[in-house]
Amino acid sequence: MLKYLLMCRSLTYAQRASRALEHAGITAVITKAPKSASGVGCGYCVKISESKLSLALNVLRQEGLGPTRIFVMAHDGSVSEVNS
Amino acid sequence: MIYLDCAATSMHKPRTVQKAINRAMATMASPGRGCHRPAMLAADCVLDTRILLADYFNVGEPENVIFTSSATHALNIAINSLVNSGDNVVISGYEHNSVTRPLRGLNASLSVASSPLFSPLEAVSAFEQQLDKADCAVCTYVSNVFGYILPIKEISALCKKRGVPLIIDASQAAGVLSIDLLGLDAAFVAMPGHKGLLGPQGTGVLLCNSETRPVLFGGTGSNSASDSMPDFLPERLEAGTHNVSGIAGLYEGVKFIISRSEKTLLDHERKLRELFTQLVSPIPELEIFISDDPEMQTGVLSLRSDRLSSDELAERLGSAGICIRSGLHCSPSAHETAGTLESGTARFSFSPFNTAAEVRCAANAMIKIFNNM
Repeated sequence: MLKYLLMCRSLTYAQRASRALEHAGITAVITKAPKSASGVGCGYCVKISESKLSLALNVLRQEGLGPTRIFVMAHDGSVSEVNS
Repeated sequence: MIYLDCAATSMHKPRTVQKAINRAMATMASPGRGCHRPAMLAADCVLDTRILLADYFNVGEPENVIFTSSATHALNIAINSLVNSGDNVVISGYEHNSVTRPLRGLNASLSVASSPLFSPLEAVSAFEQQLDKADCAVCTYVSNVFGYILPIKEISALCKKRGVPLIIDASQAAGVLSIDLLGLDAAFVAMPGHKGLLGPQGTGVLLCNSETRPVLFGGTGSNSASDSMPDFLPERLEAGTHNVSGIAGLYEGVKFIISRSEKTLLDHERKLRELFTQLVSPIPELEIFISDDPEMQTGVLSLRSDRLSSDELAERLGSAGICIRSGLHCSPSAHETAGTLESGTARFSFSPFNTAAEVRCAANAMIKIFNNM
């Protein structure tokens, strides 16, 4: 199953995003962003399943925690940016 | 031992504070340095504390709560963020060296809004007269020497009206008086964790409502490819490893205060201060600095005597197992304002954990010292 990586501006935002998503019933795991995704080094993101993307983005926007960028992670671990 | 130096550090803490510190030291690593369990436990602890403080002090976003090593560290960040060399800064006549020294270090031009002790109307008037040419104002909420509660709401409203950013030193207020960052519309509020908030030494907090400039540069666990500090809070102001165990203890200290209510704690401290005042008042030639209006003073009391220096009194009380502080309390400007710069004062400061029996014991020891002279 594909996973989406929601890039956050900081660890604090990633934590708050993860908590908001979990509160909404969406499993959201904080991970370090892949180097190709973070760009500036040592970034954090929350990883969610493919089917939850739309709902997750709604929750985060309502909370004022919208991701800075969104990436899709393929089965082989490669990531590519998607348009939100 | 009877500890009455809580304005310096509240030595007695809720038991939960020590437990939280031990648990953090045994299980937590450093936030932002990985996603392994000890790092994430630490990150959760730090975020939980940020959220608690943001709610307690009405900060808005938890990112605007910054953890520092002390109130001094927090004040240095706030002052460095707003003040440039040559700026005109208005301060009250009751500031601590943690305000005046950073301002002098930045070559700011200081205007002292001086007003007599326990005279809030005159304090407001003094600020009103000085603010016109000010680039920034700094005011303590409570004098650490006299427990005098300055009219911070009125001063804050004045600053807002004149468009002057205000930094509030809440070192003696946090934990006993209401602090509402957004309600006051202050630029910054700085406070220690180890006094009224009942956390451990080595903790401090800066509440931010303004643009910031870091004073400490280094690793943040974010944007690591850049050699500049991140432009977002809290990372921008939190270089280096957090004092996670201290923050864990601070969380429990603040939870204790919220559970009891700051008013209950302040009322208790005031009652002890009033009891002590009543008991030592008969000592001849003792000058006690007490407000006619009990609402204008916290649980901090200064006194002095021509018969015995404050240092000698503190030493003799110390020999009897009673811990107080003497001298200038790092606030020469407060003593200059009150006319006690030469003598200093002996300061008694009470905590939520002191008892009336302890106060009676301390008063009796003091009476004995003076009777034996």
